[in-house]
Amino acid sequence: MTAKVPLKRPLAPLFLSGPDRLRLSALLVCLCLLPVAALWSVGIGTTRIPLPEVVQAVLAFDGSRDHLVIMTIRLPRVLAGLLAGAALAVSGAIMQAMTNNPLASPGLLGVNAGAAFAVVLTLTVFGAGAANLFIWSAFAGAGTASVLVYLAGSIGPAQDSPVKLVLAGAIMSAFLMSLTTAVLIFDQNTLDSVRLWTAGSLTGRTMGQVRTVAPYMLAGFVATAVFSRQFMTLSLGADVSRTLGQNPIVWRGLAALIVILLAGSAVALAGPIGFVGLVVPHIVRLSIGIDYKWILPFAAAGGALLVVLADTLSRLLFPGQSFPVGITMALIGAPFFVWLARGRTQETS
Amino acid sequence: MTRIVIVLLICIAGCMLAGLAHGDVALSYAEIATVLLQPSKAAPHVQMIIYDLRMPRLLLSILVGGALAVAGVVAQAIMRNPLAEPGILGINSGAALAIMIVIVGLDNVPAHLTPWAGFLGASVMAATIYGLSWRNGASSLRIILIGIGLSSMAGAMTTTLSTFGEIMDVQRALIWLAGSVYHADWASVRTLALWLVAPLALTIVSARMLDLIQLGDPVAKGLGQRVNLVRALMIVLCTLISGAAVAAAGLIGFIGLVAPHLARRLVGPMHRRLLPVSALIGALLVLCADIVGRTVMVPAQLPAGLVVALIGAPFFGFLLWRHRHVTA
Repeated sequence: MTAKVPLKRPLAPLFLSGPDRLRLSALLVCLCLLPVAALWSVGIGTTRIPLPEVVQAVLAFDGSRDHLVIMTIRLPRVLAGLLAGAALAVSGAIMQAMTNNPLASPGLLGVNAGAAFAVVLTLTVFGAGAANLFIWSAFAGAGTASVLVYLAGSIGPAQDSPVKLVLAGAIMSAFLMSLTTAVLIFDQNTLDSVRLWTAGSLTGRTMGQVRTVAPYMLAGFVATAVFSRQFMTLSLGADVSRTLGQNPIVWRGLAALIVILLAGSAVALAGPIGFVGLVVPHIVRLSIGIDYKWILPFAAAGGALLVVLADTLSRLLFPGQSFPVGITMALIGAPFFVWLARGRTQETS
Repeated sequence: MTRIVIVLLICIAGCMLAGLAHGDVALSYAEIATVLLQPSKAAPHVQMIIYDLRMPRLLLSILVGGALAVAGVVAQAIMRNPLAEPGILGINSGAALAIMIVIVGLDNVPAHLTPWAGFLGASVMAATIYGLSWRNGASSLRIILIGIGLSSMAGAMTTTLSTFGEIMDVQRALIWLAGSVYHADWASVRTLALWLVAPLALTIVSARMLDLIQLGDPVAKGLGQRVNLVRALMIVLCTLISGAAVAAAGLIGFIGLVAPHLARRLVGPMHRRLLPVSALIGALLVLCADIVGRTVMVPAQLPAGLVVALIGAPFFGFLLWRHRHVTA
């Protein structure tokens, strides 16, 4: 794009070139939309709460019924949606960069399958009363499964292509999902109590749960922001990355670690929502180009926005029912994505 | 190559023998031999068990496994993606949605219509994905992306039905979706075998076309291949083969992904060898899986689709470990 490559990163947006300035303003618009969408979402539900009341509840909590509803039910739910959406989309973008595969999503590292298996196992062993254990067992399952996938995918001499990793992930996921289904076929009670969770749901999140996973996510976001240029290099393939002086093995490992942090805690918080991690990075890439310096922040904003909007929409359309956010999201996001993919995909690939 | 094929055939024959012998009623090998070689001397109930119950089930496993493996090879070649499997063309998500609608959404649909609904859903979905990807030709990447989008939409609808449906129906649909050969009879074996003859033969004949298209659109075009025509033809073949297999046995997703990779490790990337060897591997995997699934926790039965992943995954891990010094 620019003819001269600057030696240092530009200090202020003022020095950005034309398309970059456009991207920055678009990003700022997205970031401004986020709090607006979040506040609007907090107001919507079985009882509508006007916007000033919402702001007041956050700033000056007075213990009235509306304020209690906001602080204990609505706000945690919206925060969980924001965090999970941003984390899944960012980790999906990182997965696609590190594997060079458009089919990659955080689930490919075994995160979703591991979490689902751990949750089902916990429910079967301890019974349906163990709902508080959900979040910890999901986190532990996701972490264990993805570490195993990473180890299985990187045994042997240094690999130039991530094919082994991708295959190991797909196979481990199939294995764990089969185990989960095998348990569910014989245990109707667990199937009944877990099927809402597996669709991806934000119902009944508490502030405590949000606070539990938030540190891991924030660590992941900070690391992503720091290393975004390395991910760009990684996405060019092992050959180019090595020529540019990068050690792809080390950076792939680091990328996997960040994905485990982000996606693991997101799945623990909101259930295995598949759509955000897979599709939002593609939507962003088709809209703004292939530079990961921009893809990552846009993915974070887009993922958060999509999850919160989808959740609000499902509460608006089906008040009183806990309609899983994963479903609404796919139903509104997929047609848009198909339209984008149809129009913007190049012929030669 | 010949040695590998012979070893695989011997394994399949051995598994078939074991499959005839084991089950709710254990039969001795002498009894099996009598039934197979001197039918007039065999006891009628043994004959019934072997010919009406076990034999069609074994044959159906072999057909389904072979068909899914071949479809997987074709999908990986035309998509040029190691993660590709027939499901990428929308076959699994389309079939799953159709089955969910039939079992959970509608009442009183006769059971023998379920497979046809599955096949219909699979083909409609594959046609939609390909149709939407067409824009002066269909690139692999566009098919993959649109496949992801449409499959996630169909998946969301399937989940909606499974979340709010009657729990009994949901469980029934779950078993069907897990992939099983419980309901095998001679009629289904015959239908599937006849159905598969033409597409499988066409696939084998076009092995060289698959070799070419795998090199990428520009190279294949440069060597004189009509890329779009070949890709469309291969997608039709893949849909016919795996759609029929899915209709007969439910979603056994693992075979289409893993059998081609196993075969590639054994005989290399040329499709002339890859296609038959992966068909044999697929057949062997489903056969083993069904036998294990119905013997390991008698009288309950585990669907073959689950057991395939449960025994196939560690096996694949072992292969990865053994070949860890070979760069992929």
